[in-house]
Amino acid sequence: MRNCIIILLIVGLVSVWGCQPASKDKQEPQRELKVAVAAPFTGNAAAFGEMIKRGAELREKEINEAGGINGMKLTLIFEDDAGKDAEASLVAERIANNLQILAVVGHFNSSCSLAGKPIYKRAGIVELSPGSTNVTVCQGSDWTFRNLYRDDFQGQFIARYIDEILTDLQSVAVFFDNDDYGRGLRNAFVEESQKIGLNLVADEAYERDSTNFKAQLTSIKAKNPDAIFISGLYGQAGLIVKQGREAGIAAQFFGADGVDSPDFLTIAGPAAEGTYLTTPFTFGAAGEDAQQMASNFEALHGVAPDTWAALTYDAVGMIAEALEKTYNSEASVADNRKAIRDHLASLDTPEEGYMGVTGLTYFDINGDTVNKPAYVKIVKNGQFVAADQQLLDLN
Amino acid sequence: MAQFLEQIINGLVLGGIYALIAVGYTMVYGIIQLINFAHGEIFMFGAYIALMLITVFGIPFWIALPLSMVLCAILGMLIDLIAYRPLRNAPRLSALITAIGVSLALQNLARMIWSARDRQFPPEILPTVFQGQNAFLLPGGATLPYRDVFVILLALVLMIALNRLIHLTKIGKAMRACAQNPVAANLMGIKTNQVIAITFAIGSALGAIAGIMVGVSESVTPTMGYYKGVAAFAAAVLGGIGNVTGAMLGGIIIGVAEVFGAGYISSGYRLAIAYIIMIAVIIIRPSGLFGRSTGHRA
Repeated sequence: MRNCIIILLIVGLVSVWGCQPASKDKQEPQRELKVAVAAPFTGNAAAFGEMIKRGAELREKEINEAGGINGMKLTLIFEDDAGKDAEASLVAERIANNLQILAVVGHFNSSCSLAGKPIYKRAGIVELSPGSTNVTVCQGSDWTFRNLYRDDFQGQFIARYIDEILTDLQSVAVFFDNDDYGRGLRNAFVEESQKIGLNLVADEAYERDSTNFKAQLTSIKAKNPDAIFISGLYGQAGLIVKQGREAGIAAQFFGADGVDSPDFLTIAGPAAEGTYLTTPFTFGAAGEDAQQMASNFEALHGVAPDTWAALTYDAVGMIAEALEKTYNSEASVADNRKAIRDHLASLDTPEEGYMGVTGLTYFDINGDTVNKPAYVKIVKNGQFVAADQQLLDLN
Repeated sequence: MAQFLEQIINGLVLGGIYALIAVGYTMVYGIIQLINFAHGEIFMFGAYIALMLITVFGIPFWIALPLSMVLCAILGMLIDLIAYRPLRNAPRLSALITAIGVSLALQNLARMIWSARDRQFPPEILPTVFQGQNAFLLPGGATLPYRDVFVILLALVLMIALNRLIHLTKIGKAMRACAQNPVAANLMGIKTNQVIAITFAIGSALGAIAGIMVGVSESVTPTMGYYKGVAAFAAAVLGGIGNVTGAMLGGIIIGVAEVFGAGYISSGYRLAIAYIIMIAVIIIRPSGLFGRSTGHRA
């Protein structure tokens, strides 16, 4: 019987331990260039992580099949931050201390990118996020970049879209995730709403761990808003939309890029119908190379790519380009890491910018991308489609 | 007024769920003085097992529900048999640490089997009563979903049934005897281990049905047992751990307080308010609302 306990405990230990992929690196003479991809592969942003991983894998495969980077193989190392800032700090330490890793594509959640930022800065390694939109992510570090817009832009955009395009909607409620992303986006939205005179009737928060939103939804319902802007991630947003409709709320739901995941549709079910959301990229409005990437993606993974797969695909491509132009096998790791940073920092004008499937990416002084537009999608017949009316002249 | 009424209903639904889980904690504690941390995971397994029975094996909901309860009852007994029974006479701390270990192991097991992604009961297979859009319209504009009525009534009926079982049946009498003094009960010819196993089975079955109720209205995740379990444990403590009536009342109080905290004050204080009430009660009555004074057994 005692053996049983021991076995049970061992199972427990192994399963806890097994959650963290051990990154074992042997000193090999083989010439390969290692780049880390840090994202939430488990936890409640795992649907994003899955697409990020697949997008990165596609790019890795394409680069290596085309002969690698100057003849060297690109190897991606996937690190799971579970979407939690504490975990992201540990991951960042692990990556920074691994002297074979030359750059990081990640993190996804704003709170994770923020947690990793000081560590990457201290170690001198690039952090290129394909998903964090919080305003402060790139501030205060020369080593942090991103290839999508910021929440101040996105928040303003949503307020303007509701005000200018969806003119039937007179009053708006905000329901936000109480973390860096949700709060930052909510602040930008509220600020712009006040400026343009959108009538804000309710402002409620929720915690990331919640699955029951009935209490706040009942309060929001009593204020009778025409629209509800959910500033958070797909998992909670899906439940909010579902539980909101069940509670008899007829308002128009609006989400941001955090809701842009196929999992939103499965969680919300039929209640998802008619939900608007903004996204930094949509295949429906993209060019030939994006369609090509989408069909290659589907051939490799058997599912259609989403926004995050495309942004990660580009982010890995940018790092690969930087490596191709700057990598020097004679130089030290620190110098090679710095050369990548210097290369990214030099992409500071539209002419110098990187042309990927998600459009042109170039950076301002902080490392932010400020030229990319926001697109509006709507859920129709259980699918995301581009909304009839876009608002692209906001830049 | 409509809002107030809806919030009361929200609170009662949540409270009913907490009560169903809390009795599982409290019954086990009452008999073997063990805080069974794995109970939250049984709640989670209840939801997953029902979901699997329905989606993978195509079993109708109304059969999957009792089947999941039975399977979870067996799981509860198995945990007792494997993890707790060998430690019956060991220091209490050993059993407590084991309970935490079992809880972690089960949570990670669920993550390995079903992945960390949120899962939903597909709406089309749910019986009409659980389809959220079906609701009574109350005067004043309040909506009262059938599902909420069902959950509240279910909790009420099960609580009354449990109460009757404990006070009117032979096994109930045996459970009370074991709670008072297991050694004396054993001397009187009560098979204590059997009684304990039945206690685990009943608590686990109630936990499983609570898990299914949460699963159909929220989502099914490997961590759902942790979050709901902590609140339900607080409910058990509030009511006086070891006391079944206290756990029921504690569940309702915590549920209503949580909803009112989130609905009227701020969602950041959601659980804080519930816990403040719990702490206040514990300060005034250290053994909880219905708890026996401590030190009844050395």
